[in-house]
Amino acid sequence: MNRLPILKIVITHLTSRKRQTIVSMLGVTFGITVFIFQAGVITGLQDFFIEKTINSTAHIQIYQDKNQKSPPVLLNVYEDEQTWVSVPNIKSKNELPKLKRGLQIVEILESYPEVIGVSPSLSTQAILKLGVADVSGVINGVNIRKENRLFDLEKDMVNGSIIRLETVNNGIILGSGLAESLGALLNDNITVVSPGGVALQMKVVGILDTGLRDLDNNRAYSSIRNTQKLMNVTGSYITDIKIKLNDVDQAGMLAREFQSRFGYSAEDWKQANEGIFSVFRIQNIVTYLVIISILLVSGFGIFNILSMMIYEKMNDIAILKSIGYTDIDIRNIFLLEAVFIGFIGGLIGLLIGFVISWITSVIPTNIEGFVSSEYLNINFDPAFYLLAFVFGLVATSIAGYLPARKASKIDPINIIRSQ
Amino acid sequence: MKKVLETKSLNKYFYKPVEFHVLKDINLSIYSGEFVSIVGPSGSGKSTLLYAISSLDREYEGEVLFNNTELKSLTNQKLAHLRNRSIGFIFQFHYLLADFTALDNVMLPGLKLGKLSHEELEEKAMQKLDLLGIADQATKKVNRLSGGQQQRVSVARALINEPRIIFCDEPTGNLDSKNAKVVFDMLKNLTREFDQTILMVTHDDSFSSETDRQIQLLDGKILNRETR
Repeated sequence: MNRLPILKIVITHLTSRKRQTIVSMLGVTFGITVFIFQAGVITGLQDFFIEKTINSTAHIQIYQDKNQKSPPVLLNVYEDEQTWVSVPNIKSKNELPKLKRGLQIVEILESYPEVIGVSPSLSTQAILKLGVADVSGVINGVNIRKENRLFDLEKDMVNGSIIRLETVNNGIILGSGLAESLGALLNDNITVVSPGGVALQMKVVGILDTGLRDLDNNRAYSSIRNTQKLMNVTGSYITDIKIKLNDVDQAGMLAREFQSRFGYSAEDWKQANEGIFSVFRIQNIVTYLVIISILLVSGFGIFNILSMMIYEKMNDIAILKSIGYTDIDIRNIFLLEAVFIGFIGGLIGLLIGFVISWITSVIPTNIEGFVSSEYLNINFDPAFYLLAFVFGLVATSIAGYLPARKASKIDPINIIRSQ
Repeated sequence: MKKVLETKSLNKYFYKPVEFHVLKDINLSIYSGEFVSIVGPSGSGKSTLLYAISSLDREYEGEVLFNNTELKSLTNQKLAHLRNRSIGFIFQFHYLLADFTALDNVMLPGLKLGKLSHEELEEKAMQKLDLLGIADQATKKVNRLSGGQQQRVSVARALINEPRIIFCDEPTGNLDSKNAKVVFDMLKNLTREFDQTILMVTHDDSFSSETDRQIQLLDGKILNRETR
């Protein structure tokens, strides 16, 4: 069937009621724009955070679980199944959280093809002092070259350099937040006191700013040797092994393998950041609810305008039917008008959404909070644009279909007789 | 002569506000090439009869046979096709699409029929407008035309698909006497020169007397028995 006559009518209807057409297009445009912008900002922030998290936490971390409790020794004596043994108030093993054969494990791990970097480390709580200021932090004893290969620390250095950790005796790199609360500047000498009471004079050789507030506020790096000194332990003592993989999605699987192979706890990055991902899920639900309600509102707008238009066009419908246009033709005319409004309005919405997102992404915002970043990281994923467009089209089609169907059911005789 | 239209025991009731028997046992036939008028005082059921036999109103009792096809047996789809291909309408109020030009209005039924290419159709529409003496108004929007011009556009639109019959409901009723005469003469001319079948409802005796045959309606009944 020739679709041309309908198209001609559709275009004439739309162009002869320009203001109505533009107003209903604006409804769709606004909805799509908000969709694009909001989805871009929210997921951009999430992606930024995830990227930072992946980059600054190990994909897998192997450590000795300090809360592991040994089974009561009584069980060795009463092995009988009929015997109940109840030992209250069991304490953790009086054992340092040391990874035995830690350096051998590192060597084994390095031979895995999936692993691209392994960094042994040990960490301890410590009080950092500079003059009267004292702040508690976590001292990570690392081989700075290996650690850098995992986390690209060099990129996040705002002051000093990582290599001085090796060249300067008793060097320390502070997180930016930590340095700020201490009032420490590059090359300042600070005192670090461990829980065991060991005090060391250390020199600030670098300041690190990852953008993740939690880390920047309490993390400091030093060499393995210095940290061992602080903890008063021997040269082979390490507490953690951090692992970076080729493919982050294998982390869960490999973590389980390492756990059973080495007998120590192995945690992948998703487990370590479980709380944040559930926050993201809730955030996403809220985002989509807002977007859907905006599109619903613009859908109702189209519904109203088309309903009004059909009321105005009663005569036209009667004429078209009397000269041989079918019910389906009439329905398609109004449906096509709605789809056309949705299509053009949607395209403009995508464009405006993109422009607003782009402008926002290049204006410095200096957000401080959960994460800190100079610019808003905005997601320009084409999937959003497609989704927004499809969603807009579906919403306008539904909004247009109902009045269109009503129009198709108009009986011309009722209109003609009433004149 | 070939029968275009026939009714058998056509009865029609209105149920609102009260039951009212509008058309009483109407039997009539329209033959190809005839110019027939339905006349009668207002309220006699002229327009109702026209709507019933012209496929617009299908809530009647009895039979209306268009080319030997009972209208009630057709689906909406087929009925629309029948109207498009075989029926032309001219109403009292011109009933044109206000947003379109005169030419577009004339072309609309042809576009729907889809037999001719756009160019051929446009040419044909121009011929019809020319025939009715308003070719110079073709590209104007119809709401810029005078009442008489608008009604002539309606006539051109009714003609575009070369229908078997044209139904006119008081085609001159809304025009001044000069324009009414012009439009009526054109209709008459169509029947004389192009052998077009026309059924026209009118209350104007001076026009009806010039048609081939008058069907007189009074209180829903045909007064004169059919002579053929």
